[in-house]
Amino acid sequence: MLQIRDLTRSFGGLRAVDGVSFDVGDGQVTGLIGPNGSGKSTLLNLIAGQLHPDTGSIHFGGQDITRSSPDAINRLGLARGYQDPALFFQMSVLDNTLLPAREQLGESPWHAPWHARWRGQEQHNAARADTLLERLQLRDLFDRRASDLSGGQMKLLDIGRSLSGEPSMLLLDEPTAGVAPKLAREIFQHIATLNREAALSFLIVEHRLDILFDFVDQVIVLHMGKVLAAGKPDDIVKDVRVREVYFGL
Amino acid sequence: MNIDLGATLVALMTFFGIAALMALSLNLEYGIAGVPNFGQAVFVSIGAYTTAITYTRLLPLLAGKEVIWPCGPTLGPALQLRSEIMRSYPGAGFLNLAITLVIAALVSGLVGYFVSRIALRLQQEWFLALVLLVGGETVRIFVRSYEPVICANNGVSGVAQPFAWLGNPQLSSILFMLLVLSVAALTWVYCERLVRSPFGRLLKALRENAAVTRSLGKDVALARARVMLIGSVIAAIAGVFFVLNTGYISSNDFVVTLTLDIWVMVVLGGLGNNRGALLGALVITILDRLTAIATIQMNMSAIDLEFNYVRYILYGIILLLMLRYRPQGILPEPARTTNAHDLLTDPAPHVADS
Repeated sequence: MLQIRDLTRSFGGLRAVDGVSFDVGDGQVTGLIGPNGSGKSTLLNLIAGQLHPDTGSIHFGGQDITRSSPDAINRLGLARGYQDPALFFQMSVLDNTLLPAREQLGESPWHAPWHARWRGQEQHNAARADTLLERLQLRDLFDRRASDLSGGQMKLLDIGRSLSGEPSMLLLDEPTAGVAPKLAREIFQHIATLNREAALSFLIVEHRLDILFDFVDQVIVLHMGKVLAAGKPDDIVKDVRVREVYFGL
Repeated sequence: MNIDLGATLVALMTFFGIAALMALSLNLEYGIAGVPNFGQAVFVSIGAYTTAITYTRLLPLLAGKEVIWPCGPTLGPALQLRSEIMRSYPGAGFLNLAITLVIAALVSGLVGYFVSRIALRLQQEWFLALVLLVGGETVRIFVRSYEPVICANNGVSGVAQPFAWLGNPQLSSILFMLLVLSVAALTWVYCERLVRSPFGRLLKALRENAAVTRSLGKDVALARARVMLIGSVIAAIAGVFFVLNTGYISSNDFVVTLTLDIWVMVVLGGLGNNRGALLGALVITILDRLTAIATIQMNMSAIDLEFNYVRYILYGIILLLMLRYRPQGILPEPARTTNAHDLLTDPAPHVADS
């Protein structure tokens, strides 16, 4: 589904991402870990199109997206979440969820004033958003401004919003940062359910390894911009190099 | 001084209708979509300059007369000709107005669309704000010194409103007021419908966080250019009515202070709320008229104070107080956009997924 080959990106003299290659298969959940400054967020930004690499290539679903814009990448089905939930805080929870829906007729100013033209589609999208919010336990809050939510609810809404565009793969940047341990596990349970039921693939940057390792199919370890190790969670835990740089053992 | 209350009210409501159009335009652009248009006066002036050109070139042709060069030595006969046509050829007057509105809307809309597309591609939205601010002054100074548009510094007078042929000033100003208010009302309905649609939701999203909106698959530059197109069309229509109301076109009316007046209306009423834009337009129009009347009164009483400028002090105070104590304006923006919320509020079982 996602193929990354020899990806390099420098900032001045610093090579933040240095010859990184890996694949994420269809329906796979992949964890991306590494110490602070190892290049995880840069890599995520490169994949999502917010940054462009100096060299290397990124393919998604067979298409070259190396130099595509973020909106074009999203439309291909690769969505991203944000570490600090970048919600539309002045808008309602429902509006946040409805915004990413695809091919909205009412988003064209020529159709927008004529409600009858897009009402049916809006109702259909609202029904889908309803199911999505119900699943994320945000249904009762649909009318609130996003700024009124708790930190954990904001994280869930951020994921929910990304899902509403019906992606086939989701990039998540520390979905459990700043969230209580119980909720953190719940967030990963949601991820597992989505993976199972909707066949969604995930690439997740995460520091909570105890939780992450219970839910992922493969783990990529970044260190100083390079892939230090890649494999199944059990193998990664045993890897001596990973233990040295990551766990300090 | 005797004040004719009826005539004052008609004049006030006509001014209000024009101000409402300008405020609705800026509210759509900045209040809803977050595109800071510091050049609103340019788009209003496009309407005004189009009117100058059609009234001096097209109107005589529509009435079957020969065009007289409107500036220089033939200024007098040209003025006489268009006054004569507006008095005796109502059909030509109305047709000329309709064509003026269409051309002004087209030119202004295209300028708004392309300027924002280019400027927003290069830089962030505040770059566009500066381009429009500087561009507005450049256009004004150009028009002031380039004779063919509005006869440079002389301006173009005798731009009669379309009901002038009735020969009854009172009746024709009431009819003109009704025309302006109807256009403003229709524009308000249009803006409300836009805001309460998925397009309105998209605009509000990109106002809050354009980068995230983009990463959710939306063409942000296109949406912004589209809203600038719509806003510029409305502003140009306001510009046409503005000069028809005063009967005179001068580049001095389209200085930066006009843009600031419109900003005060929108900030006062409530950014992002169309009703707020109307309320702001009403309050500022009343203040504007009151200070104008006070200025005349004081001049007649030979008081040595240019009261006209008190208006700008008042606007400054209003702006500061609003930003300090009520940044959301008198009427804040509602959180919901479309009627999708009503579906989920319905206590009946959830809407079935089709």
